[in-house]
Amino acid sequence: MATAARKQDMPPEGGYRAIPYKRIPARQFFSGSTLIAGYLGMTAGAAYVFYLNSLHNHIEEIEARSGRLAIQPILVAERDREYLKQLRRNRDEEAKLMANVEGWKVGTWYGEPIYETKPDAFIEPAFHEYYAHTDDWSRRLRQFFVWWS
Amino acid sequence: MSILEDAYLPTDEELTTQEVNLSGPVLKAAAFHYGNACLAENNEFMLCRTETNDPRACIKEGKAVTNCALNFFRQVKKSCSAEFMQYYNCIDKSSTDQAYSPCRKTQAVFDKCMKDNLNIERAPFDYFARVQVHKTNRPRPLEEPIPHYPNTPVALPEDAPKPPAKYGSRYLGLW
Repeated sequence: MATAARKQDMPPEGGYRAIPYKRIPARQFFSGSTLIAGYLGMTAGAAYVFYLNSLHNHIEEIEARSGRLAIQPILVAERDREYLKQLRRNRDEEAKLMANVEGWKVGTWYGEPIYETKPDAFIEPAFHEYYAHTDDWSRRLRQFFVWWS
Repeated sequence: MSILEDAYLPTDEELTTQEVNLSGPVLKAAAFHYGNACLAENNEFMLCRTETNDPRACIKEGKAVTNCALNFFRQVKKSCSAEFMQYYNCIDKSSTDQAYSPCRKTQAVFDKCMKDNLNIERAPFDYFARVQVHKTNRPRPLEEPIPHYPNTPVALPEDAPKPPAKYGSRYLGLW
Protein backbone atom coordinates (compact mmCIF):
# COMPACT_ATOMS: atom_id res chain seq x y z
CA MET A 1 0.00 0.00 0.00
CA ALA A 2 1.44 3.17 -1.13
CA THR A 3 1.64 5.85 1.40
CA ALA A 4 -0.81 8.55 0.41
CA ALA A 5 0.53 12.01 0.38
CA ARG A 6 -0.79 13.74 3.41
CA LYS A 7 -2.53 17.03 2.85
CA GLN A 8 -3.60 19.21 5.68
CA ASP A 9 -6.98 20.97 5.47
CA MET A 10 -6.31 24.59 5.04
CA PRO A 11 -8.56 27.64 4.67
CA PRO A 12 -9.48 28.52 1.14
CA GLU A 13 -7.48 30.98 -0.77
CA GLY A 14 -7.93 34.42 0.65
CA GLY A 15 -9.33 33.09 3.95
CA TYR A 16 -12.86 32.31 5.12
CA ARG A 17 -15.76 34.66 4.63
CA ALA A 18 -16.44 36.95 7.49
CA ILE A 19 -18.99 35.53 9.95
CA PRO A 20 -22.16 37.67 9.74
CA TYR A 21 -22.63 38.28 13.43
CA LYS A 22 -23.70 41.89 13.11
CA ARG A 23 -27.34 42.61 14.01
CA ILE A 24 -29.45 43.71 11.07
CA PRO A 25 -32.33 45.75 12.53
CA ALA A 26 -35.79 45.61 10.90
CA ARG A 27 -36.69 48.40 8.60
CA GLN A 28 -38.38 51.20 10.55
CA PHE A 29 -41.53 52.70 9.13
CA PHE A 30 -42.25 55.02 12.06
CA SER A 31 -40.10 56.62 14.61
CA GLY A 32 -40.80 56.07 18.30
CA SER A 33 -42.35 59.46 18.85
CA THR A 34 -44.65 58.99 15.83
CA LEU A 35 -45.81 55.65 17.24
CA ILE A 36 -46.60 57.15 20.63
CA ALA A 37 -48.38 60.08 19.04
CA GLY A 38 -50.38 57.71 16.79
CA TYR A 39 -51.34 55.54 19.78
CA LEU A 40 -52.55 58.54 21.71
CA GLY A 41 -54.43 59.86 18.71
CA MET A 42 -56.21 56.59 17.98
CA THR A 43 -57.08 56.13 21.65
CA ALA A 44 -58.54 59.61 21.77
CA GLY A 45 -60.59 58.92 18.64
CA ALA A 46 -61.82 55.60 19.99
CA ALA A 47 -62.71 57.20 23.30
CA TYR A 48 -64.79 59.78 21.48
CA VAL A 49 -66.66 57.08 19.53
CA PHE A 50 -67.15 55.16 22.77
CA TYR A 51 -68.58 58.30 24.35
CA LEU A 52 -71.02 58.79 21.47
CA ASN A 53 -72.14 55.19 21.74
CA SER A 54 -72.59 55.32 25.49
CA LEU A 55 -74.57 58.53 25.11
CA HIS A 56 -76.87 56.74 22.70
CA ASN A 57 -77.22 53.78 25.06
CA HIS A 58 -77.90 56.11 27.95
CA ILE A 59 -80.65 57.88 26.03
CA GLU A 60 -82.26 54.56 25.14
CA GLU A 61 -82.10 53.49 28.76
CA ILE A 62 -83.78 56.71 29.86
CA GLU A 63 -86.48 56.27 27.23
CA ALA A 64 -87.18 52.72 28.40
CA ARG A 65 -87.38 53.87 32.00
CA SER A 66 -89.62 56.78 31.07
CA GLY A 67 -92.02 54.46 29.26
CA ARG A 68 -92.11 52.10 32.23
CA LEU A 69 -92.79 54.94 34.66
CA ALA A 70 -95.59 56.26 32.47
CA ILE A 71 -97.58 53.03 32.70
CA GLN A 72 -96.67 52.32 36.31
CA PRO A 73 -99.82 53.98 37.77
CA ILE A 74 -102.19 51.64 35.87
CA LEU A 75 -100.27 48.59 36.99
CA VAL A 76 -99.98 49.71 40.61
CA ALA A 77 -103.66 50.67 40.78
CA GLU A 78 -104.75 47.30 39.40
CA ARG A 79 -102.32 45.42 41.63
CA ASP A 80 -103.50 47.31 44.74
CA ARG A 81 -107.12 46.42 44.13
CA GLU A 82 -106.35 42.76 43.66
CA TYR A 83 -104.02 42.78 46.66
CA LEU A 84 -106.67 44.24 48.95
CA LYS A 85 -109.23 41.72 47.71
CA GLN A 86 -106.80 38.93 48.53
CA LEU A 87 -106.15 40.36 51.99
CA ARG A 88 -109.88 40.29 52.70
CA ARG A 89 -110.08 36.72 51.41
CA ASN A 90 -107.17 35.76 53.68
CA ARG A 91 -108.80 37.37 56.70
CA ASP A 92 -112.12 35.66 56.04
CA GLU A 93 -110.34 32.37 55.58
CA GLU A 94 -108.56 32.76 58.88
CA ALA A 95 -111.81 33.60 60.64
CA LYS A 96 -113.38 30.45 59.17
CA LEU A 97 -110.39 28.28 60.02
CA MET A 98 -110.07 29.44 63.62
CA ALA A 99 -113.80 29.69 64.35
CA ASN A 100 -113.70 26.80 66.81
CA VAL A 101 -110.62 27.95 68.70
CA GLU A 102 -111.60 29.58 71.92
CA GLY A 103 -110.19 33.02 72.59
CA TRP A 104 -108.83 33.42 69.07
CA LYS A 105 -109.13 36.88 67.60
CA VAL A 106 -108.30 37.30 63.93
CA GLY A 107 -105.14 39.28 63.29
CA THR A 108 -103.81 38.70 66.80
CA TRP A 109 -102.28 35.97 68.93
CA TYR A 110 -105.21 35.21 71.25
CA GLY A 111 -106.03 38.90 71.48
CA GLU A 112 -102.45 40.18 71.57
CA PRO A 113 -101.78 42.28 68.45
CA ILE A 114 -98.53 41.87 66.55
CA TYR A 115 -97.94 45.61 66.22
CA GLU A 116 -98.83 47.84 69.13
CA THR A 117 -97.57 51.34 68.58
CA LYS A 118 -99.46 52.20 65.39
CA PRO A 119 -102.86 50.49 65.48
CA ASP A 120 -104.24 52.29 62.40
CA ALA A 121 -101.22 51.91 60.16
CA PHE A 122 -101.38 49.54 57.22
CA ILE A 123 -98.59 47.02 57.69
CA GLU A 124 -98.23 44.59 54.84
CA PRO A 125 -98.34 40.98 55.92
CA ALA A 126 -95.13 39.03 55.57
CA PHE A 127 -94.65 36.90 52.48
CA HIS A 128 -95.38 33.49 53.95
CA GLU A 129 -98.27 34.92 55.92
CA TYR A 130 -99.83 36.26 52.75
CA TYR A 131 -99.65 32.82 51.15
CA ALA A 132 -100.63 30.93 54.30
CA HIS A 133 -104.08 29.89 53.10
CA THR A 134 -103.29 29.07 49.47
CA ASP A 135 -101.90 25.84 48.09
CA ASP A 136 -98.16 25.63 48.49
CA TRP A 137 -97.53 25.53 44.76
CA SER A 138 -98.79 29.11 44.28
CA ARG A 139 -96.40 30.24 46.97
CA ARG A 140 -93.50 28.40 45.34
CA LEU A 141 -94.31 29.83 41.93
CA ARG A 142 -94.27 33.34 43.32
CA GLN A 143 -91.20 32.80 45.46
CA PHE A 144 -88.92 30.95 43.07
CA PHE A 145 -90.14 30.96 39.48
CA VAL A 146 -90.47 34.69 39.35
CA TRP A 147 -86.67 34.76 39.04
CA TRP A 148 -86.86 33.27 35.58
CA SER A 149 -89.56 35.52 34.22
CA MET B 1 -102.26 37.56 59.77
CA SER B 2 -101.33 41.05 60.84
CA ILE B 3 -104.54 42.70 59.54
CA LEU B 4 -106.86 43.02 62.51
CA GLU B 5 -110.43 41.80 62.46
CA ASP B 6 -111.89 45.28 62.81
CA ALA B 7 -109.30 47.03 60.63
CA TYR B 8 -110.68 48.72 57.54
CA LEU B 9 -110.36 46.76 54.33
CA PRO B 10 -112.40 47.85 51.31
CA THR B 11 -115.12 45.45 50.23
CA ASP B 12 -115.12 43.71 46.87
CA GLU B 13 -117.79 46.09 45.55
CA GLU B 14 -115.58 49.07 46.33
CA LEU B 15 -112.63 47.42 44.61
CA THR B 16 -114.30 46.02 41.53
CA THR B 17 -114.08 48.12 38.42
CA GLN B 18 -113.44 47.50 34.77
CA GLU B 19 -109.73 46.78 34.37
CA VAL B 20 -107.47 47.65 31.47
CA ASN B 21 -107.24 44.31 29.75
CA LEU B 22 -104.05 44.90 27.76
CA SER B 23 -100.67 43.24 27.73
CA GLY B 24 -97.25 44.74 28.33
CA PRO B 25 -96.13 45.62 24.77
CA VAL B 26 -99.43 47.37 24.07
CA LEU B 27 -99.16 49.46 27.21
CA LYS B 28 -95.52 50.22 26.48
CA ALA B 29 -96.29 51.26 22.93
CA ALA B 30 -98.96 53.65 24.14
CA ALA B 31 -96.98 54.81 27.19
CA PHE B 32 -95.78 58.20 25.97
CA HIS B 33 -99.20 59.32 24.74
CA TYR B 34 -101.07 57.76 27.63
CA GLY B 35 -98.78 59.48 30.12
CA ASN B 36 -99.52 62.83 28.52
CA ALA B 37 -103.26 62.25 28.32
CA CYS B 38 -103.67 61.07 31.92
CA LEU B 39 -100.86 63.05 33.56
CA ALA B 40 -103.03 64.62 36.27
CA GLU B 41 -104.67 61.35 37.34
CA ASN B 42 -101.40 59.47 37.30
CA ASN B 43 -99.55 62.06 39.35
CA GLU B 44 -102.40 62.34 41.82
CA PHE B 45 -102.45 58.58 42.32
CA MET B 46 -98.71 58.15 42.61
CA LEU B 47 -98.49 61.09 45.03
CA CYS B 48 -101.23 59.59 47.18
CA ARG B 49 -99.62 56.19 47.03
CA THR B 50 -96.13 57.35 48.05
CA GLU B 51 -97.36 59.89 50.61
CA THR B 52 -99.60 57.54 52.52
CA ASN B 53 -97.87 54.26 51.64
CA ASP B 54 -101.28 52.67 52.13
CA PRO B 55 -103.20 51.08 49.24
CA ARG B 56 -106.48 51.45 51.15
CA ALA B 57 -106.22 55.24 51.06
CA CYS B 58 -105.89 55.55 47.27
CA ILE B 59 -108.71 53.40 45.90
CA LYS B 60 -110.59 56.38 44.47
CA GLU B 61 -107.47 57.79 42.78
CA GLY B 62 -106.59 54.36 41.42
CA LYS B 63 -110.03 53.97 39.89
CA ALA B 64 -109.66 57.39 38.29
CA VAL B 65 -106.38 56.24 36.76
CA THR B 66 -107.92 53.06 35.35
CA ASN B 67 -110.93 54.98 34.07
CA CYS B 68 -108.74 57.53 32.32
CA ALA B 69 -106.64 54.74 30.78
CA LEU B 70 -109.76 53.00 29.51
CA ASN B 71 -111.03 56.21 27.94
CA PHE B 72 -107.66 56.81 26.35
CA PHE B 73 -107.48 53.35 24.82
CA ARG B 74 -111.06 53.61 23.59
CA GLN B 75 -110.13 56.81 21.79
CA VAL B 76 -107.04 55.19 20.30
CA LYS B 77 -109.07 52.23 19.15
CA LYS B 78 -111.61 54.50 17.54
CA SER B 79 -109.23 56.84 15.73
CA CYS B 80 -105.83 55.19 15.23
CA SER B 81 -106.47 51.50 15.49
CA ALA B 82 -104.47 50.33 12.47
CA GLU B 83 -101.48 52.60 13.16
CA PHE B 84 -101.41 51.59 16.80
CA MET B 85 -101.63 47.91 15.98
CA GLN B 86 -98.74 48.24 13.56
CA TYR B 87 -96.69 50.09 16.16
CA TYR B 88 -97.20 47.73 19.08
CA ASN B 89 -96.64 44.77 16.81
CA CYS B 90 -93.26 46.26 15.96
CA ILE B 91 -92.48 46.98 19.63
CA ASP B 92 -93.45 43.44 20.55
CA LYS B 93 -91.45 41.65 17.88
CA SER B 94 -88.41 43.80 17.13
CA SER B 95 -86.43 43.29 20.31
CA THR B 96 -86.30 41.15 23.42
CA ASP B 97 -86.87 44.06 25.79
CA GLN B 98 -89.56 46.00 23.92
CA ALA B 99 -87.14 48.76 23.01
CA TYR B 100 -88.43 51.85 21.25
CA SER B 101 -85.45 52.45 18.97
CA PRO B 102 -86.10 49.77 16.28
CA CYS B 103 -89.60 51.15 15.65
CA ARG B 104 -89.07 54.80 14.79
CA LYS B 105 -90.83 54.56 11.43
CA THR B 106 -94.05 52.99 12.71
CA GLN B 107 -93.81 55.31 15.68
CA ALA B 108 -93.76 58.34 13.40
CA VAL B 109 -96.91 57.10 11.65
CA PHE B 110 -98.66 56.51 14.99
CA ASP B 111 -97.52 59.86 16.40
CA LYS B 112 -98.85 61.69 13.38
CA CYS B 113 -102.21 59.95 13.64
CA MET B 114 -102.50 60.76 17.35
CA LYS B 115 -101.57 64.38 16.71
CA ASP B 116 -104.01 64.82 13.83
CA ASN B 117 -107.01 62.95 15.20
CA LEU B 118 -106.83 63.15 18.96
CA ASN B 119 -104.50 66.13 19.41
CA ILE B 120 -102.31 64.21 21.85
CA GLU B 121 -98.60 64.92 21.52
CA ARG B 122 -95.93 62.35 22.19
CA ALA B 123 -94.09 63.27 25.37
CA PRO B 124 -90.33 63.93 25.14
CA PHE B 125 -88.27 60.76 25.51
CA ASP B 126 -87.30 61.45 29.13
CA TYR B 127 -90.44 63.22 30.27
CA PHE B 128 -91.70 60.65 32.77
CA ALA B 129 -88.23 60.06 34.15
CA ARG B 130 -88.06 63.70 35.21
CA VAL B 131 -89.24 65.00 38.56
CA GLN B 132 -92.95 65.76 38.29
CA VAL B 133 -94.47 68.80 39.97
CA HIS B 134 -98.13 68.24 40.77
CA LYS B 135 -100.68 70.59 42.33
CA THR B 136 -103.33 68.82 44.35
CA ASN B 137 -106.26 69.58 46.65
CA ARG B 138 -105.59 66.60 48.83
CA PRO B 139 -104.50 67.68 52.32
CA ARG B 140 -100.92 67.01 53.24
CA PRO B 141 -100.63 63.93 55.48
CA LEU B 142 -100.00 64.67 59.14
CA GLU B 143 -96.44 64.47 60.31
CA GLU B 144 -95.87 61.51 62.53
CA PRO B 145 -95.39 62.75 66.09
CA ILE B 146 -92.32 61.67 68.02
CA PRO B 147 -93.47 58.67 70.06
CA HIS B 148 -93.45 58.95 73.81
CA TYR B 149 -93.02 55.79 75.85
CA PRO B 150 -94.19 56.18 79.45
CA ASN B 151 -92.19 53.25 80.82
CA THR B 152 -88.78 54.60 79.76
CA PRO B 153 -86.37 54.70 82.75
CA VAL B 154 -85.41 58.18 83.92
CA ALA B 155 -82.11 59.35 82.49
CA LEU B 156 -79.17 60.21 84.78
CA PRO B 157 -78.89 63.92 85.58
CA GLU B 158 -76.19 65.82 83.75
CA ASP B 159 -74.07 66.32 86.86
CA ALA B 160 -74.35 62.81 88.23
CA PRO B 161 -71.03 61.54 89.60
CA LYS B 162 -69.33 59.12 87.23
CA PRO B 163 -66.54 57.40 89.15
CA PRO B 164 -64.17 55.09 87.28
CA ALA B 165 -65.29 51.48 87.08
CA LYS B 166 -64.40 49.63 90.24
CA TYR B 167 -63.34 46.35 88.62
CA GLY B 168 -62.47 47.57 85.12
CA SER B 169 -64.25 46.48 81.99
CA ARG B 170 -65.81 43.09 81.76
CA TYR B 171 -65.28 42.83 78.03
CA LEU B 172 -64.71 39.10 77.36
CA GLY B 173 -63.83 38.81 81.05
CA LEU B 174 -60.15 39.25 80.21
CA TRP B 175 -59.32 42.83 81.08
